[in-house]
Amino acid sequence: MTAEVVFLLLTVCIWVGVVLGLRAVFLGMRLGFGSPGVDRAGLVKRLGISAGIGGFLLLVGSFIPKELGREAVGSWLPLVWIYTPFPGWMLLLSVFMVGSRLIQGRTALNAEEDRGRYLAALIWAGVGVGSFLWLRGMEGQISILRGAIPLHWPAIFGLLGLLVAAMVGMVLAERTTAARGVTKKISAQLGLLAGAVIFSIPFVWLLTTSFKEERDLANTDGIVWVPQVQKTHAFLDPENPQFAARYDGRAVKVKKDSEVAGGKWLVEVERPYGLRGRRFEVPAGSLKEIPRDQPIWSGVENGTAFTAFTVKDQEDGSRLLEVLEPGDRKGQRLTVMPEDVEPVRERGLRWQNYSDALEWMPLETGFGMAYLLNTLWLAGMSVLGTVLSCSIVAYGFARLRFPGRDQLFFVMLMTMMLPGAVTMLPQFLIFSNLGWMDSLLPIWVPTFFAGAFNVFLLRQFFGTIPMELEEAARIDGCGYWRTFWQIMLPLVKPALAVIAIWTFMGAWNNFMGPLIYVNTPAKMPMSYAMGLFASDRGTDQALMMAFATMSTIPVLLLFFFAQKYFIEGVSLSGLGGR
Amino acid sequence: MYTYSRLLWCRMNRCPTRGVLLTVVGLRVNRMVMRMVAMLSLVVFSCLSLAAKTEITVWGLAITPDEKGNDLIVRQFERENPDIKVKLLGMGAGAMNPQKLMTAIVGGAPPDVIQQDRFTISDWASRGAFRPLDDLIERDRGSDPRTPTADQYYPATWNEAIYDGKLFGIPIGADNRVLYYNTEVFAEKADELREAGLDPTRPPRTWSEVLAYSKVLTEFNADGTIKRAGFIPNEGNSWLYMFAFQNNANFMSEDGRKCTLNTPAAVEALDFMKAGYDILGGYENTLKFKSGTRGGENDPFAIGQIAMIINGDWMIASYARYSPKAKFLTAPAPVPDDRYYQRGRFADEKDKFITWSGGFAYAIPRGARNIEASWKFIKFVQSLEGRQLYARGQADLEQSRGRRFIPRMAANIEANEWLVDTYASGNSTYELALRQHVDMMPFARLRPATFVGLKLWDEHVRAIEQACRGAQSSEEALVSGQTRVQQILDEYFSKEDYPRVNILGWVLGVFGVVVAGLVTWVAMLIRRGSGRVSPQETRAGYAFISPWIIGFLVFTLGPMIASLVFAFMNYDVLNPAHFVGGKNFVDVFVVDRDLLLKALGNVAYLAVIGIPLGLTTGLVIALLLNTGAKGIRFYRTVYYMPAIAPTVASTFLWMWILTPDNQRGLLNNFWTNTIAQWFGVNAPGWFTVEPWAKPALILMGLWGAGGAMILWLAGLKGISKTLYEAADIDGASGWRQFWSVTLPQLSPLVFFNSVMGFIGVLQTFDGVYLITKGENMGPNDSLATPVYMLFNNGFAYFRMGYASAIAWMIFFIVVAVTLIQFKLAPRWVHSEVDK
Repeated sequence: MTAEVVFLLLTVCIWVGVVLGLRAVFLGMRLGFGSPGVDRAGLVKRLGISAGIGGFLLLVGSFIPKELGREAVGSWLPLVWIYTPFPGWMLLLSVFMVGSRLIQGRTALNAEEDRGRYLAALIWAGVGVGSFLWLRGMEGQISILRGAIPLHWPAIFGLLGLLVAAMVGMVLAERTTAARGVTKKISAQLGLLAGAVIFSIPFVWLLTTSFKEERDLANTDGIVWVPQVQKTHAFLDPENPQFAARYDGRAVKVKKDSEVAGGKWLVEVERPYGLRGRRFEVPAGSLKEIPRDQPIWSGVENGTAFTAFTVKDQEDGSRLLEVLEPGDRKGQRLTVMPEDVEPVRERGLRWQNYSDALEWMPLETGFGMAYLLNTLWLAGMSVLGTVLSCSIVAYGFARLRFPGRDQLFFVMLMTMMLPGAVTMLPQFLIFSNLGWMDSLLPIWVPTFFAGAFNVFLLRQFFGTIPMELEEAARIDGCGYWRTFWQIMLPLVKPALAVIAIWTFMGAWNNFMGPLIYVNTPAKMPMSYAMGLFASDRGTDQALMMAFATMSTIPVLLLFFFAQKYFIEGVSLSGLGGR
Repeated sequence: MYTYSRLLWCRMNRCPTRGVLLTVVGLRVNRMVMRMVAMLSLVVFSCLSLAAKTEITVWGLAITPDEKGNDLIVRQFERENPDIKVKLLGMGAGAMNPQKLMTAIVGGAPPDVIQQDRFTISDWASRGAFRPLDDLIERDRGSDPRTPTADQYYPATWNEAIYDGKLFGIPIGADNRVLYYNTEVFAEKADELREAGLDPTRPPRTWSEVLAYSKVLTEFNADGTIKRAGFIPNEGNSWLYMFAFQNNANFMSEDGRKCTLNTPAAVEALDFMKAGYDILGGYENTLKFKSGTRGGENDPFAIGQIAMIINGDWMIASYARYSPKAKFLTAPAPVPDDRYYQRGRFADEKDKFITWSGGFAYAIPRGARNIEASWKFIKFVQSLEGRQLYARGQADLEQSRGRRFIPRMAANIEANEWLVDTYASGNSTYELALRQHVDMMPFARLRPATFVGLKLWDEHVRAIEQACRGAQSSEEALVSGQTRVQQILDEYFSKEDYPRVNILGWVLGVFGVVVAGLVTWVAMLIRRGSGRVSPQETRAGYAFISPWIIGFLVFTLGPMIASLVFAFMNYDVLNPAHFVGGKNFVDVFVVDRDLLLKALGNVAYLAVIGIPLGLTTGLVIALLLNTGAKGIRFYRTVYYMPAIAPTVASTFLWMWILTPDNQRGLLNNFWTNTIAQWFGVNAPGWFTVEPWAKPALILMGLWGAGGAMILWLAGLKGISKTLYEAADIDGASGWRQFWSVTLPQLSPLVFFNSVMGFIGVLQTFDGVYLITKGENMGPNDSLATPVYMLFNNGFAYFRMGYASAIAWMIFFIVVAVTLIQFKLAPRWVHSEVDK
């Protein structure tokens, strides 16, 4: 513990020293280029104090024994991190708060504010005592973790440059307000940029991972950002030829099994996976041989380098290769152990992850097409149902006057608070008794009966349309329905677009509905199919990412085309603008 | 369009008259058309014959690159039975998501055959969810040589599928557990082992020996973390079941009415596990070690990071595939010392060693449409021929990849012997290991056939965690698990003590009364207000809002009443309900109190830390954007995109980002290279360890903070410029302006968001369900939420009444918290109207 405490104290010395040193530089700069009206004598005095104390602390800190810190390259900045349970942090926080409140206490404008601050300090002190007692009860859980930021020279120069630039900015900002605006803008821009990078990293990773080869998924040298693919050689294997054929109206890749009577061959399907193992007979003439894409390797034999492609992986673990280069050995066969050769790779995208992911989907879904169509159907019906029913109901609540309206509207608002969990089980029983199990009906039919939230929004929107319009229509002899359909509905189009988009997104993302109601792959929407795919193939990262990318892209496209409505929708909901 | 055309197509296939009709009509037209129609009808008829094919759906068999055996079985079966078509579906293979099967059976659309973990069969059978198979066996016994009978199977496998004297499943595979020990590690540590008086050339045989070996073989790093673990009690596959069986403990009484999780023998077994963890520096330390290990080529046992492990026969193939160089041997798992030396309680025991066997079985769910075809398929799959085909398919696949094939054990004795003779008669490590497993088969114990199997499993896992973590003593942990299982048992067996009620009648009755009340109320309102408005407009008004009224009655009020009625019942949907009064509510708070408190604590954590963090992040971005920075459209898009990414996709993405493995997980890779080196803090295990599971969930949510950002942006736009100008004149700094102008002006938004956020958080489900794969509730229930509890009780344990009680409790909490928030609001929410 004592070594840790020494390390802690010396680390604090170094950091305070660094900060004071920087302050000294800053003050020096102000002295040099600062605005003319400054108190130069005061500046010099402060500079002297900062430089003196900072230098002293740095000197003390430099006595920190190296063996206390972590191994680090070049120079290093020590770091400490106090590891304590929750009350420990509370204690630290309360000490800090008491201190800051006491300091603030004397700077306030009036006595009342002062009293408030002293009271706050008192409360925090109480919290501190409480946490301290709590911490005592837990005993021996505080530890100080030691570490260091390794600093390479380029990093040090980079950091220093950045700091100097920041200080110059601060000094300049003092001189003119225009400069202040620019500094503010630049820092906002930097912050936004940093945030944007952080927010988009997962997406970028999703995308690159979906194109990676297996060997790039786990990488000891850090994450692979640029996918590489192994080069392949189109190989017509005389021993194990592959043929293109048609089976059940689909193009398949087959291998020969045996010859049968009548000049026909019995063949076995190799791809797509869903048909794997199926056998059928074809006339010999209709088979067209197609090459297999075999991976290419490089290695060294007897001191000469070669590249070769796999002919066959053999059962004893060795690999039979056929040489491609150098030219004079082309066609030679050799047997190697897999660890003795290196894959020949190039920068590229492995589209095969996508085709594999699609191929592994149950056959009857038509390589996942059914998922997409089901999702679109579900989303389309939900949008239609929601837009129609909600606009009708909202119009009724907003523009027609009838007894009981406000009371019923209140009831409707109340239902917004009801968690879906309460109605989940009975709804399931209703739908299963209707025989709607294993279909999407239970998910989209209810949308035709007006959800409370959307009705509420639309009602607000209808409310903003001037009454005169409607009255004019009424005088012209329009019935209620025509007034609604021909006059009012076109006016709320923007709101409808927003609701349509929200509903679309909700339907696209709906997971629990299909989880409960749909069993057959051919009837599943994408979200649930993906959950299911993950439970079968979840360990296959690249395939999962490919599937995730495919299910995300349509939504993102929608977002790009309808961005306006997404953004406007919020302010329109009456929540943003009030 | 798509569905419609498909519908039409199906109709055409099914309707025989259509083809005839077309033909008849065709006769009147010219020959050309006639020929066409004839062809068409031919097509239609051929489609008809296709449709006449019986299609059976089999659940629980995944189609993956590593499975080819099932393909061969299905193809061969279809060749033998041209009129049957078989469709395989994973449906969350392995444990087979119980909720899916449950909803399918209740909804009347079950699969025809299901592969199911055997120990859950009684669970289903007790509720009449499966069809007994005895009559089919009796019928075919003489006529069909493929008929499965008890004598063909290892008793441990056959008996596991029997409930209440009836057979509900045909066992397919068998597994059991033995001790694997890494001989290289033993050789490396030979001297030290000898020093401790242990023989490095043989494996430990008793509990005290295995602990002694573990003590010598375990190595620690300087910082106290594990470098090499000697023996982790619950690694591989042993659980408490294994050790309890060895100690002659059984978790259920003979008659199946009492849960006996807590017996001295079980406590002893759990104490042994705890002692095993203590050698490794405690449970948490072991978890930390485990989160740093990986599978495949880097399997910790194969590379010597774990010296001894109890594991099942399924690992042999994995070792053969990924770790051909690993040197290991197998032996029967160590047993209690008294058992090994046959003294004390075990003086009269014949069996020195004991193992635990499990595996899968095929069953036919209630309501399956094609029983004959399904039965034929099951008979084929389990037969010697079926097993041979399976093995051939797998062998073929492995060999084509240049790998060794090691078969899995079959439950059918004859098939198992054939497998060993054909594929494992040699003397390689793997073949020896497989034969070790086969030899142990006669000494296999099985989990009790009880309908609370799943719950018992969940509770026993919880007890292991609680005890090994040191949160409770072994006995306390087992007692609390036992209480919870017993509650369900009592509920089931005491059901008849409570009056049986017609639940539909009750629901409809209450519904009728409430609707009548509502109608009267509305009618009263109409009458009272009729003077002021035109009756025409009233009629139109009600017509306009009728969709909502219908929806409200059918989809909201009706279900609400139903779930209220359920909450007072003992009801499992498949059987008649019993009225139990307030028992469900009492049980939620008494028996399930710990889990409930945990779940509520979890949502409170998510609410108190997650919501403010999310709102702050959104606000910070919005404030930065609002400075008038260039490129606002671009940034807005980038920040908002995560919020609209499909939940399922983003959950999976984040699960990979947060993978503890620092080579695969994006964040931990970064962490290991920076923070870990600077601060010496190792990368956390995120979803795999308790303290980090919820922070991981929050982090995942923060990525979607763009949604809140858009809201804040709109709010910021709405703040009048004059307020800022006034503040500027007063000389308020930027910071001060934010606190005194911006924030109060935004406070209604903050209020709205915290109310909606809380309602949302309380209903957290999709994410945690996906993350935990529906199998557990996260490490030490750290991801349990009330809705998850509800979902499990309703759809996995069949306790609709209990689940409804939880649902109502959630509702009351929502209402209470919302009311409190509204009550507190005037104190801090800025409102123009007040001033």
